[in-house]
Formats: sequence, structure tokens, C-alpha cells
Amino acid sequence: MINDLLLYGALPYAATVVFLIVTIQRYRQRSFTYSSLSSQFLENQHHFWGSVPFHYGLLVVLAGHLLALLLPRAVLWWNAEPLRLYALEITGLAFALLALVGLVNIVVRRASVPKARVVTTTGDWVLNVLLGTQILSGIGVAIVHGWGSSWFSSSVSPWLWSLARLDPEVAWVAPLPWLVKVHIVNAWLLIGVFPFTRLVHVLVVPNPYLWRKTQVVLWNRPRTRSS
Amino acid sequence: MLRAVSILFLLAFPVPAVRPAQTVSEETTVYYERNCQSCHTIGGGRLAGPDLKGVSERRDRDWLLRFVVDPKGMIDGGDAYAQQLLADARGVYMPAVPGMSKELAGKLLDLIEAESKLEKSRFAGTQVSERPLTPRDIERGRDLFVGRVALTGGAPACLACHTTSSAAGLGGGRLGPDLTDVYARLEGRKALGAWLSSPPSPTMQPIFREQRLEGEEVLALIAYLKDEAEHAREREGVSPVLFLVSSAGFCALVLIAFDFAWRNRYRAVRRPLLHRG
Repeated sequence: MINDLLLYGALPYAATVVFLIVTIQRYRQRSFTYSSLSSQFLENQHHFWGSVPFHYGLLVVLAGHLLALLLPRAVLWWNAEPLRLYALEITGLAFALLALVGLVNIVVRRASVPKARVVTTTGDWVLNVLLGTQILSGIGVAIVHGWGSSWFSSSVSPWLWSLARLDPEVAWVAPLPWLVKVHIVNAWLLIGVFPFTRLVHVLVVPNPYLWRKTQVVLWNRPRTRSS
Repeated sequence: MLRAVSILFLLAFPVPAVRPAQTVSEETTVYYERNCQSCHTIGGGRLAGPDLKGVSERRDRDWLLRFVVDPKGMIDGGDAYAQQLLADARGVYMPAVPGMSKELAGKLLDLIEAESKLEKSRFAGTQVSERPLTPRDIERGRDLFVGRVALTGGAPACLACHTTSSAAGLGGGRLGPDLTDVYARLEGRKALGAWLSSPPSPTMQPIFREQRLEGEEVLALIAYLKDEAEHAREREGVSPVLFLVSSAGFCALVLIAFDFAWRNRYRAVRRPLLHRG
């Protein structure tokens, strides 16, 4: 019971406070560190199969979680027809697998490409472990304890809303299976470490890139084969 | 004269009425409703657990307190009566009740004792209609289970967390147990009705506390689950492998789409530039 209170009643607030304070403090004092610190220029073939599946996979999965949080009734309505439920669940797992493919490529590339390895910090490896835990536990939950889109809406959303009301009702999540708990606790750890890592680039995504005019970059100095 | 003295005596020493609602706190009653009544009646016969009417006459209070606080410990500790209870429940342990303490157990025993003295306790059992179950009930129960017909209280459909042998396609959810034989496991209509009216499992409790099933919905679900138990086909087991394979296939298609969408990624501008460089 004490553990439940700590993990589902206290940890979320601790993670959120750290997230808010450090995010703001870092932006005020070291705003130029708000970057993904991309290593695409160092190697871009393997990078493509890491970065692209990882980002598209995570974006879709996160959108699904957000939808179940903000519109739980709508998700339950959609899932009332089993075929629609299956379509939603297959889509969710497919994009989670996509994120996993991306993360595996990211890790392999960071470990095997010398130029990429040089610019990889201990913090990056910690982040990769947390992201790996999150994606693998999420996939595990989807397979072992499906249909999460329905039970997230009815069991996890009310808990998250109780956190938002500053009246945490841990009884919603305390009886859930351990794999689900790993996924939940690890999510809060990720939120807690967010401002210390390159994840901060999420907050400064250059959205105008989506609609600005194409820019072609040309080199105008002689380059040698060896470079 | 004697009559007048008697009246005066009665007025001077009013005899308190034995009304459980007045002696037992509302909090204890609510706790009992949420945690005990789905498995026990008081004077209504056995459900998943024994009828609790007069339980304090069967065992002494200290024993009952110890059992309510830690049923599994008592059974595993070798207590003969506790093991008899386990055998009567066909090997199903009484679950540890959330938030249970010796003090709370004492209050619950007071409630049971007071209710046992009444001719008919309000906890004599859930009033699920005794009318015969029809094929229409089975159909409605199936629709409620799957979610095609929404539960009036707003609770999610059973399929979100449970499956049955007849759940088509990729089957039902896997958060809770398979309910194909739940009708037989709970030994029939009465206990299943009690369970559905006030689900006691810690996962279901918070959901159904405010979103209770209506009597007709309980009846329809009983009809469907009874039909499931009676006609349970040889379960092929809806394996999650099909789900995983479908998702992996979709994932592969998306990867192919990425490769196609960005097929000129290196070729159009940058690669010729690099070669020229």
C-alpha cells in the first residue's frame, strides 16, 4: 500500500515538478542546449532507419495514449464494435513495433558507427535504456494484457485525471498487473529525466519546417574524396 | 396502579431498539456492500463463500477476527476449520480484502451479528429475477458483453478485459480471466448475479462503484455466461500470435511505405553532390 502510494501517488508529482523546474531553468540558462544534437551529418544511411521509424512510431502511439486520456468515452464508443477495436489495437501495436525497430537501429548505429559513438554520452545510453524499457513493456502489455485501448480508458484515465485534480486515487492502478506497472512507472521516470536529456528537442520542434519553402543546401567550396 | 408504575419504569429506562442501521456505522455498511456481499449472504444461502448468518455462533470472535484479517495465512497455517472452508469453496481462497484491519474486521462482525438477528437481512442476497432465461436474454447478454449494446451505467463492455470461447476474431481482452466457465466456477446464477451486481475484484471495484449494472443487464449477462458454460466448445484458445503477426505485417508495410516515400532521399540532390564533391 505504501509502495502504491509512493509509485502512483507521489512519483508522478515528483517527476512533474522536476520536469517543470529543470525545463524552465535549462531554457533560461542554457537555451542553446535545446536541441536533439542530431548526428545525421555524421552518418545518414543507417540513421534514416533509426530516426524515421522511431519518431513516427512513437508519435502515433503517444497520440493514442493522449486520445484515451482526453476522450475516453469516444475510445470506448469506437471499441464497442470488435472489428474497430481490433483495427485500433493492431494499428497501435504496429506503430509500437515501428518505434522498436527504430530504437534498435538507433542503438546499433550509436554503438557501431565510430563517429556516432564519439558523440554519444552516458546520458544518451541511460535514455536509450529507459526508452527501450518503455517500448518493450508497452508491447508486452499489448500482447499479454490486450485490449489496452479499452481498459486504459476505463482504469488508467480516471487515475490520471485524479492526479490532475491533486487527489490521487491509486486504487485505479494498484491492482493492475506488474507489466502494466513497469510501463507506468517507467513513463514517469522518462518524464523526470526529460529535461536533463536531448529529449528537450520535443519542446522546440521546428513545426514551420512542415510548410516552409524547400531550401537546397549547396557546397561551394572544393571537397576532396577523402573528406 | 401497577400499570402506571410499569409505564413510568419504561419511560425512565427506555430499551434501545436493536436496529443495525443505528448501531453500525454507514461506513462499515458501505464497506461490507463493496467487499463482502458479492461472495457472502447473511441468511440467503451460500454464494462463492459461506452464508454468514450466525457466524459468531459457529466460531469464537478471536478466530473470526484472525481469519478475516488474513484468510490465506490461516488456511496455509494448517487451521483445520479454515481448511474445511477452503474445501467447501472448492479450493478457492478467500481474497485478502483491501484495507482490512483487526478493528475493521470487528466492526464487520458487529454488522453481521446484528443482521443475523433480523428475520430477513438486507444482505440476504442480490435480488436477481428468478424468471426463466430465454434465447433473447442470451443474445442481449452477448451484445452487452461485446459492447454492441452499451451498459446503462456507462461501464466499459466486458470484452475490454475478458474473453469467452465464442468471442470471435481476435477474442476478448486479456487483463482479466477468461469467463467461459465462470458460471460453473461460481456455482450458478445466484453467486454470479451477486458478483455482477457488485464486482469485488480490486480492478473492477473502482469502475463499477459508480457505474453499476442494472438488474436486467445482470440477468442477460448471466444468461449469456450460462450458455457459454453449457456450450463451451473445445477452446482453440484465441492466441495473441495472430494479433502479433497482423501488427508485425502492418509494421512491415509502413516500413516499405517509408522506403517508397523517401526513395529519392539521397539520390536527387545530395548523393550527386557528394559524388561531385
